[in-house]
Amino acid sequence: MQRSTPSSFRRYAFREHEVDQQGQNGLLTTYREGWRNRSILGLTISLLLVTFYVVLYWEHKVQEQFGVAPLTAFSESVGLRNRWYLYGFLYSVAMIAGAIYYLRRHGNSRYNRYRITVNVAIQIALGFTLPFVMPLFGGKELYFSYFWPLKYDYLYPQTLADVPLYFALYTVVGSLLAAPVLAVLYGKRWYCSWVCGCGGLANTFGDPWRHLTSKSTKSWRFEQLSIHLVLLIAIGTTFLIGLDWLIGSEHPTFHRIVSGNDWKDWSIKSFYGFAVGSILAGVIGTGLYPIFGPRVWCRNFCPMAAVLGWIQKVGRYRIKVKPGMCISCGNCSTYCEMGIDVRSYAQADQSFTRASCVGCGMCAHMCPRGVLKLENSWDRPEDKERQRLSVVDF
Amino acid sequence: MRIVIIGNGVAGMEAALAVREREPSWEISLISEESDHFFSRTALMWVFSGQMSHRDIEPLERDAYTRLGFRRVRARATCIDTAKRLVSLAGGLDPVPYDRLLIASGSRPRSGPWPGSDARGVGHFVTLQDLAWYEDEVHGGSSRAGGPPRPDAHLPVSASDSPYRFREVAAERRGRLARQPAIIGGGLIGIEAVEVAVTAGLRPRFFIREEWFWPIALDPRESQWIADRMSHHGVDVHLEHEVEMLEADSDGNVTAVRTNEGRYEADCVVIAIGVMPNTSWLAGSAIELDERGGGVVVDESLKTSAADVFAAGDCASVRWFDGTRRPEQLWYTARDQGRVAGRRLLGDSPRYERGAWYNSAKLMDIEYTTAGLVNWNLDGEKSWFFEERGTVRSTTRVVVQQDRVVGFNMLGRRWDHSVLIRWIEEQRSLDWVLAHLNDAAFDTELVPPLRISGA
Ligand SMILES: Cc1cc2nc3c(=O)[nH]c(=O)nc-3n(C[C@H](O)[C@H](O)[C@H](O)COP(=O)(O)OP(=O)(O)OC[C@H]3O[C@@H](n4cnc5c(N)ncnc54)[C@H](O)[C@@H]3O)c2cc1C
Ligand code: SF4
Ligand code: SF4
Repeated sequence: MQRSTPSSFRRYAFREHEVDQQGQNGLLTTYREGWRNRSILGLTISLLLVTFYVVLYWEHKVQEQFGVAPLTAFSESVGLRNRWYLYGFLYSVAMIAGAIYYLRRHGNSRYNRYRITVNVAIQIALGFTLPFVMPLFGGKELYFSYFWPLKYDYLYPQTLADVPLYFALYTVVGSLLAAPVLAVLYGKRWYCSWVCGCGGLANTFGDPWRHLTSKSTKSWRFEQLSIHLVLLIAIGTTFLIGLDWLIGSEHPTFHRIVSGNDWKDWSIKSFYGFAVGSILAGVIGTGLYPIFGPRVWCRNFCPMAAVLGWIQKVGRYRIKVKPGMCISCGNCSTYCEMGIDVRSYAQADQSFTRASCVGCGMCAHMCPRGVLKLENSWDRPEDKERQRLSVVDF
Repeated sequence: MRIVIIGNGVAGMEAALAVREREPSWEISLISEESDHFFSRTALMWVFSGQMSHRDIEPLERDAYTRLGFRRVRARATCIDTAKRLVSLAGGLDPVPYDRLLIASGSRPRSGPWPGSDARGVGHFVTLQDLAWYEDEVHGGSSRAGGPPRPDAHLPVSASDSPYRFREVAAERRGRLARQPAIIGGGLIGIEAVEVAVTAGLRPRFFIREEWFWPIALDPRESQWIADRMSHHGVDVHLEHEVEMLEADSDGNVTAVRTNEGRYEADCVVIAIGVMPNTSWLAGSAIELDERGGGVVVDESLKTSAADVFAAGDCASVRWFDGTRRPEQLWYTARDQGRVAGRRLLGDSPRYERGAWYNSAKLMDIEYTTAGLVNWNLDGEKSWFFEERGTVRSTTRVVVQQDRVVGFNMLGRRWDHSVLIRWIEEQRSLDWVLAHLNDAAFDTELVPPLRISGA
């Protein structure tokens, strides 16, 4: 018997937004769409993404093997300086396309609309256009939308010495002062959901797969371990590279181990770039969107998220739960891209702040009973501790 | 101590959790005919549309039974022997002995009183099995996330009048999916059944007996807005239609709904004319049932007429604040009763006290919050009503009796009902409430606050 196709596209989900309502308008058909649920098509998309990233990062290997450098060749043929501009361009296009997809479903809410628009605008301006334009005027390509420790090399002394002074100041002040202070005031969302390019891609291009993020306790335990491990490695690497900058010239072996630039040296610096920058952030972090959901990198590995998460725990940001109104339906948890079991807090009447929460607002948006509200407030009696026994902590 | 709980819905599960929290070693058995896992009945509509999977609507992880040491009995209870303290099961399974027993068997849908109500292609939207049937009729199967866990071998003995039986599917017989569903009954479950059909790309007919949609909660102005939204989304809303019979073809598949106004073709009919306590299986047991309604009669601490037997949730007839005795068919109250019953099973003597009335719902894409006494037709009550039509569209209705506010009915915006209830308890005046209204706002960030023009 023929299966009916979900008609969300036809009438219901692509809704006029003449009324600014905050909740989800109409029902979603997420699980009735194969490509969003690890069907052959979904897995193929994942495979293509992984392949793309592998070629992007290790094009020299591809060239050694096959004698062609496909991305570079293509970039040059369309007049882009190198394959990284092509990547920046594709990244922006993916974000714009994803933003349209997302906003047609969830754009009736102002929070979603403003957040996604700002995020895409920042990517286009600071993540693509500015780095593209600056070298045209003889400058370096600089990314104003990334900070240490996400952009791990921005606090390397060599980097700071190489970039213009204003940018060095921007990076140091931004990474060590502004980012944390903003996180105290507004939670990590100011960055992870409004500014960051990785988060931006996840929230737009990655949105179709947000329900795939695992909510299991096991995945939570893994996340706590892995993200802090990466953070530790990031801090350690930066520290060693700083040390190397000071004393490296007198200790050639130390220098080679820490910052040797040849790929085959497997120095700590190149290992970090390889393991964290390429594998975790690129190949796994983005390539596996269609399998594990869009925030694999942000949730499990991003050192910046780890730092901002800690700060968020002591800052003003929280998700406020309206008492007694939760019907335990699970919409909030299902659509939490960070795999937070929001329902377990909501049904226990427990306002909460979780370190991993990026403040995307989707839990509050999806909740059919208006139980959840994101807010910044110092006035938050007793909610850091869970009040009553809850089913996940049992 | 052997604790036995009939029903793993929210009432039963909350009670089991409360017992386990304090007594790690007591033996706790949960009997359920419907499902292996505790799930949120309120969320059936999202599984249907594909917004969530079966796994997503389960509030506990699937290893909960093992982790918490609950014994799962997937079977139909048929009788309680209060003298021997045994629960007997269908299908020749061994009876389950108890020291303390909780009945949390929930509600069952009210069946259609009209001729033809048992035709193939006619069903309800209350249980997991109803969901599976409705999905089969409309979509030809469950979403890619799969169906509910099918019962073990012993369950086919499920009685023919059980609300948890699997229904025959007219679409299979006909070889064609439903194209023209009809939903009978203008309540909350009705509108959910309508909305999921819309999402599946159909134009359902919605038969409502009353003058306007959901009169127990909405006034005509509020209801009109909802009805407009329904029509806008392609629902044929038929108000003031008394259904007279359901017609079927020679094969037994439903073909039409006949009302006092005419004959309307339909190839799938969902009857949503309310639920009633699921207690018919208790007929032969020495447990007192309410003459009117059939709920299990309980006292303030949820004890039934039998020793060491308690009842909670949709199946229990509790005393409301106005003195009447009837079941409360709500998620929140079932949960609260479950928690009280859990303490009762532990041997405490807590009282179940029903607080102020509140509820929320989502009617198509419009959110609804209510608190206090609305539509109770109190002596000398007055309504203050405001309709907002700006960036946000909303309605606000405040019910006032003798210069103090007694109730709120709000559509379109989010409100913190706990603040509204506090104002009712503090006996605030209308002027005071209107001046402070935005203190109770629970809108998402960046939504402009409600401005009441002329106030
Ligand atoms: C479609 C729908 C939407 C709803 N939406 C809302 C809402 O938005 N807000 C709200 O407040 N409420 C809502 N409700 C009502 C709410 O779901 C119920 O009030 C609540 O689930 C009652 O819980 P319970 O534990 O009492 O019973 P149930 O959840 O009905 O559980 C009954 C249990 O008893 C078991 N059982 C029954 N008989 C037997 C037997 N003979 N042998 C063995 N086991 C048996 C069943 O297997 C089941 O596990 C909705 C209900 C429906 C159907
Ligand atoms: S908890 Fe809510 S706001 Fe935070 S990441 Fe999850 S869905 Fe987004
Ligand atoms: S908080 Fe809202 S979305 Fe989450 S389980 Fe409760 S009612 Fe459902």
